[in-house]
Amino acid sequence: MRQTGAIALNTFKETIRDRVLAVIVLFALLMIVASLWLGSISLGEEGRVMKDFGLVAVTFFGLVVAAFIAAGLIHKEVEKRTVFVLFSKPVSRAAFIAGKFLGLAVTLAVVVAGMGLFLFVVVWVIDGAPTWMVLAAVALIYVQLLVVVAVTIFFSTLGSAILASVLGICVFIAGQLSTNVLELTRLGQNALTEALSWVVFVLIPNLTAVDVKPAVVGEQTADWGAIGLWCGYLVAYVVVVLALATAVFRRREF
Amino acid sequence: MTGRLARRLALVVVCLACAGIVVAYQVTRPAEERRIGQPFVPSPQFFLDFSPSFRTTIADAYWLQTIQYYGEHVRTDQRYDRLKAMIDLVTMLSPKFERAYLFGAYALLDAGLAQEAYDLLGRGFEENPDAWKLATNAGILMYSYGAEDVKREVAAKWFEKAAAVEGAPLYVSRIAARLLGEGGEVDKALALWAEVYATGDKYSRAKALAGMDAILPKDPATRRAALERVRDLMAPRTFSELVRKLGAG
Repeated sequence: MRQTGAIALNTFKETIRDRVLAVIVLFALLMIVASLWLGSISLGEEGRVMKDFGLVAVTFFGLVVAAFIAAGLIHKEVEKRTVFVLFSKPVSRAAFIAGKFLGLAVTLAVVVAGMGLFLFVVVWVIDGAPTWMVLAAVALIYVQLLVVVAVTIFFSTLGSAILASVLGICVFIAGQLSTNVLELTRLGQNALTEALSWVVFVLIPNLTAVDVKPAVVGEQTADWGAIGLWCGYLVAYVVVVLALATAVFRRREF
Repeated sequence: MTGRLARRLALVVVCLACAGIVVAYQVTRPAEERRIGQPFVPSPQFFLDFSPSFRTTIADAYWLQTIQYYGEHVRTDQRYDRLKAMIDLVTMLSPKFERAYLFGAYALLDAGLAQEAYDLLGRGFEENPDAWKLATNAGILMYSYGAEDVKREVAAKWFEKAAAVEGAPLYVSRIAARLLGEGGEVDKALALWAEVYATGDKYSRAKALAGMDAILPKDPATRRAALERVRDLMAPRTFSELVRKLGAG
């Protein structure tokens, strides 16, 4: 536990100092400010446009941080040979993977919270009243991004960093289409297709289940009980993926 | 030393020349009339299937494009070939987007599509039963463009629905009452006028009195009997005042 904490702290310090991170956050904030201009040509729907485009900016830039920084976490350690020093000490592979994940999770929390609070304040100024749903939506975007971090770390134990980033982003996109895969299972043309669709449906994280972006602009009512359960499902998913990443990482020789 | 200086100078000259070319090209390029293209409007189902989490953002993006499209064509050729598809896309991706229905309806009217505009408002009210403005505007469209034999009756129904929404302004009830009265639905009209009288300001009360006076029987005793049906809609004192003012006391 102490080992995991130390690795997490070190990962947090390392990633939060990354200049790329600062540039990404700056771009995100600029995107959110740019939504103000879009709002001005929306015939009085400034608040709505701000919320919608602002949340997409938080999602997109959060995804960039999650996929690209997570992919480099393990590769950097291997390339700089620091992993050899680390594993010469009594540090388990599981503690290493968990520490890396937790460290980036904290960094991501800081980044997403920063962008989310900025958006919340801007929306408050425009609407003249606080929209707490914006904060809830940002928190749930964070949960989705944690899945991307875990999946990207898993892929980074299998292949190159760039491939891991691409696959991490692909899983995020697939997670948005999870319900479509379920539709495929219902086509029922033949048993093999149906079985394969079910496998894909189970493997892909259902990210839409915790997405409340439409609810922020009043398009639907959020079922918080169900969302809470789906968050539990995503946490379990993260645990399973990290366990798989550890299993793969154990096979590697250092 | 001199060679290095010359190289640097050459580099600066090349950079300045390039910057000059960039600026000069932009400034002197003949201004082209921007062509109005036909926007790509896929089926709403496509976005509903493939980006359920981002459907409202896509609706917003198309909302901004619809405004631009309408604005450009209103100023130029007044052709709105893709307008209906765009408005349908926005409202199907974001069915609670009240302003899209209102703007869309009047934009479709400009395109000569009165029936489509009316249908859009009807669909909007189905999706947003609390949006009295949608029902009111459907009533206005029906009254303005509907067939002569049914327009009063149908418009009255719309105003009646709008008036039933909590928070709807009093003038909606007044219009509904007036149209219902004209259509011969005395009971409904009387109830709406009574509500206006009970909750309205001085101006609304005067309108309500005139409206009730027009539809109630002239004989004081029959008039009093008709008024009894709205006694429960207001305070006893207000009712007594109403009876007195209508000469049914």
